[in-house]
Amino acid sequence: MALNPFFLQGTASEQRLVQDLINEHLSFHGVEVTYIPRKYVNTKTVIEEVQTSKFDDNFSIEAYVNTFEGYGGAGDILTKFGVSVRDELIITLSKERFEDFIAPFMAGQDDGTDDSIMPTPTRPREGDLVYFPLGQRLFEVKFVEHEDPFFQLGKNYVYQLKCELFEYEDEVIDTTIETIDTQVQDEGYITTLQLIGVGKTATATALITGSTPSGYIRTIHLDNDGSGFTSVPTIGFSSSPTGQIGDNATAIGFLTTRGSVTSIEKILMTNAGAGYTTPPSITITGGGGVGAAATASIETSGQGVIRFSITDGGVGYGTAPTVTIAGPPASGIAHTAVGIASIGLDGSNSVIKSIYVIDPGRGYSNAPTVTIADPETLAGLGTYLFNEIVMGSRSMIQARVKEYDQDTHVLKISNVSIGSTQPIGFYPGETVIGQTSGAEYPVFSYVQDDTYDKYTENDEFETLGDNLLDFTETNPFGTF
Amino acid sequence: MLGTYYYHEIIRKTIISFGTLFNDIHIRHQDDAGKDVSDLKVPLAYGPSQKFLARITQQADLNKAIQITMPRMSFEMTNISYDSTRKSSLVQTFKTCEDGTKAKKVFMPVPYNIGFELNIMSKLNDDSLQILEQILPYFQPHFNLTVDLIDSIGEKRDIPIILESVGFQDDYEGNFDTRRSLIYTLQFTAKTYLFGPVADSSDGLIRKVQVDMYTSTDQKTAKREMRYTVTPTSNIDRNDDGVINEADHKLLQPGDNFGFDEDWEFFSDSKKYSPTRQTDI
Repeated sequence: MALNPFFLQGTASEQRLVQDLINEHLSFHGVEVTYIPRKYVNTKTVIEEVQTSKFDDNFSIEAYVNTFEGYGGAGDILTKFGVSVRDELIITLSKERFEDFIAPFMAGQDDGTDDSIMPTPTRPREGDLVYFPLGQRLFEVKFVEHEDPFFQLGKNYVYQLKCELFEYEDEVIDTTIETIDTQVQDEGYITTLQLIGVGKTATATALITGSTPSGYIRTIHLDNDGSGFTSVPTIGFSSSPTGQIGDNATAIGFLTTRGSVTSIEKILMTNAGAGYTTPPSITITGGGGVGAAATASIETSGQGVIRFSITDGGVGYGTAPTVTIAGPPASGIAHTAVGIASIGLDGSNSVIKSIYVIDPGRGYSNAPTVTIADPETLAGLGTYLFNEIVMGSRSMIQARVKEYDQDTHVLKISNVSIGSTQPIGFYPGETVIGQTSGAEYPVFSYVQDDTYDKYTENDEFETLGDNLLDFTETNPFGTF
Repeated sequence: MLGTYYYHEIIRKTIISFGTLFNDIHIRHQDDAGKDVSDLKVPLAYGPSQKFLARITQQADLNKAIQITMPRMSFEMTNISYDSTRKSSLVQTFKTCEDGTKAKKVFMPVPYNIGFELNIMSKLNDDSLQILEQILPYFQPHFNLTVDLIDSIGEKRDIPIILESVGFQDDYEGNFDTRRSLIYTLQFTAKTYLFGPVADSSDGLIRKVQVDMYTSTDQKTAKREMRYTVTPTSNIDRNDDGVINEADHKLLQPGDNFGFDEDWEFFSDSKKYSPTRQTDI
């Protein structure tokens, strides 16, 4: 039997009236939420997943909170993966308002040149985000119900968005609304760049004589580099015949590992000594290794640089600078000394810690001038902006800024684009350039440990494991 | 009988050793052109924790804008069982030394298997597969860890970590009210050893070996006629006095690299060595 033609099931004007009433009701009693569409950066076929997403747009819209007595869901629970907040939210949007004021703008962005935009923008989409300002939370749309209430006067007027708190991984959230973007500022995998602020050139002086003008070590020959070292051994020299402590030679050993064998790579003098009439004996003790042996040759005529004294360690050295020592007066035995600098941290400043004597030289009559090269950058500039992309000048690695501390020059970054072609990370000494701010500071060190995640023990396991485990070869799962 | 206090933290050390295996696993994400855009180290933690501590450390300011960060790995000890296949005599002991000075007597350790469950949770199957492929090839089906179980006796034991099974839960079906849950579960067995109390031994460290030889087997009347003595000798100047002598030999520690001094003596004095008086009588 056909419908009675004298009773209408809803006219267009009635439907418009109902829609207007709903819109007005939402504007009275709703909450202004921010709708943030998801852009698909990379989609994995076969296993059908959006691997990489970004959220860089925002639309304000009024929404009625259906669950007005509180969030739904399981609430805060402790799982084996840490605390998980399982809050859920159901909100109602006006269909007309969404289709008139959000969908056209989303569609307008899809000009066909950007594959990262989802091509169905006429309705709210599952996977998009909704920022709920009262709770300052980011909800992900799980399901869009479009038929509840069910065809009043022959039409549906609202969307119901069933949402659950967002599970964050490494998605870019850059809506330009600071309140929203900073919600994930401390979340995810965050690594740290220690940058160098204002640089200053280091200075040092050379000493060419002890209590007696000659009898210093000229070279150290590593006769046997040994094996099995687990820590740096102590290098000892027999005492100088002068009996003066300052005349005793001192040196430091450096280790190297190849394959599974750790041996001494080199021995560098911190004091070439004075007053030796015969080559001193060298003892190599400690460090857990065996077999290492070294001998020395001495210079008993003429003077050379026996040690360096750092008068100013400078600031801002990302890599060890070149040390240039003035040559001795020209003569038959003249030979210019060679030194090498080592850097380290003094507080948060990277400075020259010491200068080792590689070759004391010969034929000096006065202490030569020591010139230490400038740090990579004498003055960094600017301030990095939250969420901007930074790039290493030499490594070309890109990352996204989470936070920058202008005082300590610590730059927290995420989404580091270390690829298979660049497995090392940022180079010490290279400049990190802010792509938006233009800020530039050189790198002192890059730390890949995430010390900001509140539920991770990766570092603790590594530290504690170092005292327990004996990886006679190497840890196949990688080491810190 | 029971009641001697000791605690070697062996189970805790086994947990740490197990965790160290998986604490440096990374995953990477690419853009549409295949360029890496993100590198993440997968957070790892031991699952069980005190509830109030978890709440305070992970949700100190109460509000949390997101549910949780992904991916994550968690592991926990699931069972402890005696392994009779590795049983050794209960009364068997071995000696070791502490700090190179004191001898220690240690009963043979008791073999125990500790079960571990490693869980990998991610929101992308691709993430889980990246993690799995960095773990599974190392277990065939075991991977040996050499662990210093008791520091005081320097006892390093090989502990095989055996991968027993790999399972996963992927709840992708059903209505849209529940989110997809993707958890891989790897079951492991660590074949560790538990040590009893470590006792001080009345025996000292052996610093000299002396063998007397006789020309007759008559223990009452035969006198020693030849003596072989071995003592360790240092081959470096340990006290840094410029000479290598007896003083350096005395500084030798059990773990040092040293040589031996052999001495042969011949006797015709019809005496015999008395172990109690430590002289010839």
